[in-house]
Amino acid sequence: MRSREADVLSPESRVRGPAAAAVVGKYWAIFRTQLVNSLAYPIDLLGRSLAIVLFMWIFMNLWRVTYGATGASSIAGLTLADTMWYLMMAEAVMLSKRDLSETISEQVKDGSVAYLLNKPFNFILYHFAAGLGHSLLSFGGNLLIGSGIVWLMVGPPPGIMGWLFAGVAVALSWLLDFCFSTLIGLSAFVVEETNAFRWIYQKFLLLLGGVLIPLDFFPAWLQTISLNLPFAWIIYGPARLFVDPSLARLGQVLLQQGIWLAVFGGIVWVTYRRAVARLVINGG
Amino acid sequence: MPAISVRDLRKTFQMKRKAAGLRGSLRALWRPDYQSVEAVRGLSFEMEDGELLGFIGPNGAGKSTTIKILTGILHPSSGEAAVLGHVPWEQRQALAFQIGSVFGQRPQLWYHLPAVDTFYLFGKIYELDDSSLKRRISFLAEAFEIEELLETPVRKLSLGQRMRCEVAASLLHKPRVLLLDEPSIGLDVVAKQRLRMTIQRMNELEGVGVLLTSHDAGDIETLCRRVIIINHGEIVYRDKVSALKRRYLTVKTVDVRYNEQLAPDFSLPGVEMVKVGRYGAKMRFDTRVTPVEPVISGLAAAGSLADVTVSEPSLEEVISAIYERTEA
Repeated sequence: MRSREADVLSPESRVRGPAAAAVVGKYWAIFRTQLVNSLAYPIDLLGRSLAIVLFMWIFMNLWRVTYGATGASSIAGLTLADTMWYLMMAEAVMLSKRDLSETISEQVKDGSVAYLLNKPFNFILYHFAAGLGHSLLSFGGNLLIGSGIVWLMVGPPPGIMGWLFAGVAVALSWLLDFCFSTLIGLSAFVVEETNAFRWIYQKFLLLLGGVLIPLDFFPAWLQTISLNLPFAWIIYGPARLFVDPSLARLGQVLLQQGIWLAVFGGIVWVTYRRAVARLVINGG
Repeated sequence: MPAISVRDLRKTFQMKRKAAGLRGSLRALWRPDYQSVEAVRGLSFEMEDGELLGFIGPNGAGKSTTIKILTGILHPSSGEAAVLGHVPWEQRQALAFQIGSVFGQRPQLWYHLPAVDTFYLFGKIYELDDSSLKRRISFLAEAFEIEELLETPVRKLSLGQRMRCEVAASLLHKPRVLLLDEPSIGLDVVAKQRLRMTIQRMNELEGVGVLLTSHDAGDIETLCRRVIIINHGEIVYRDKVSALKRRYLTVKTVDVRYNEQLAPDFSLPGVEMVKVGRYGAKMRFDTRVTPVEPVISGLAAAGSLADVTVSEPSLEEVISAIYERTEA
């Protein structure tokens, strides 16, 4: 058996070709494994996607009354159909976000973080690849079911450009949300319990990010504040671009997302380096 | 060059202390009280390439902390360490390609997926090419007798089956050193034995060095030639397992039965009588104080012998005695 084994894992057993290919290959494998893992319970996956039906039904009733009461066909430039499609995209992004902060916090508390720090991959990129595997599937389900119900309620969705532009912006919004979740998760390396930070972040997204109401409906002063905070570019930016796919808006959304990504990406990197140095692992 | 070399390694944690009850909680909010806990205190040791080294100690002795420093996950407060020429906490990623690790009952296999999915994922993570990975998986599946288990979701496996898969997963990239932190915890006798045999076999087949921490003296006795015992973060004993036995297994317990009645005042010089009955007795003596020969002669002279059993304390008892001695 020994002789059979001797040549199995020589240095030549490593993937041939550019090192970058091997690196991309490992994160792709993490993404794919998480995708397969998410499919382990298909009924659960479907059930979670059905939540969007309930939300859309509530929003429809709420906004139909609001639009009816004002007597106007559009509020702040958005028709009832625009508002519903906006909310569908906002909810689809919100519901498919992976709560990475909770995952990291749990891994620190139960000590399983040890396995992620002693493998030859980057801890942050591992979570990004795994998170993407989770979010893509969930986003697809939410989009499919959400679109179906909103189409039935208010008619067809915006044109192809809306889908395309929103697709790009959603990808960047996941990255930005990933930065926030990672920062909250990394705080677990120091404080272990991160529920409070997570709660605050969720509420910022709900109120100032545009999950419940398009920011256009806010009074001017609150709109100014919201648009100058990063939360708007996680939810509002992609959802608004979906219903108004103009090049000017695309440029504005991508610029804002890029700026906030540079800021928070840097903070994540510095925080990670420091957090790892002071990690305490529970359980001996 | 030794596979692992550790010099004066220290790790101090800051632990928050809080008095009991609501009052204690409020006071801790106002004036938190931190206590320094020295988990590892000036540890120095070496492990040779391909060696099976036992690292044992009671709960909180600093075993796991040491292992985590050696894998590069924890930074020490001071001291030096080198694993296969790498400073673990500075070259964690490079070292990861050459070491494998298993941390007790904490799973590294994806819980909802069959083990083979994690094996393929690890293959990519360790940058193995597809054909080598396939051959490696089939080799390990055979060595660990897990062929039938590979396609079952991990959550459906018994603990013993899962641990075999966990250790196999940690060997996928053919590491030169395997760090096993309490791999047998929670396993029944049969599962423990099977796991030990497989670890021993992999050591013989591939020459992988194993640093094994365990509560279970049986793991050490079966697997390791050399043992380091630590308590309160310090080494209290280091030597060959055989020397440990020789040095500490000097107390003999003798159970003797006779074909005739014993004298009521039956005793032997230098021997402690634990129990004396009409036809037999149980006694204890230390060979360092009382040689074996006069005891056996005395037993034979006391009457017609029906049966004699001489037993030694288990390694477990010996290790407890060492802990107790260091506590004193």
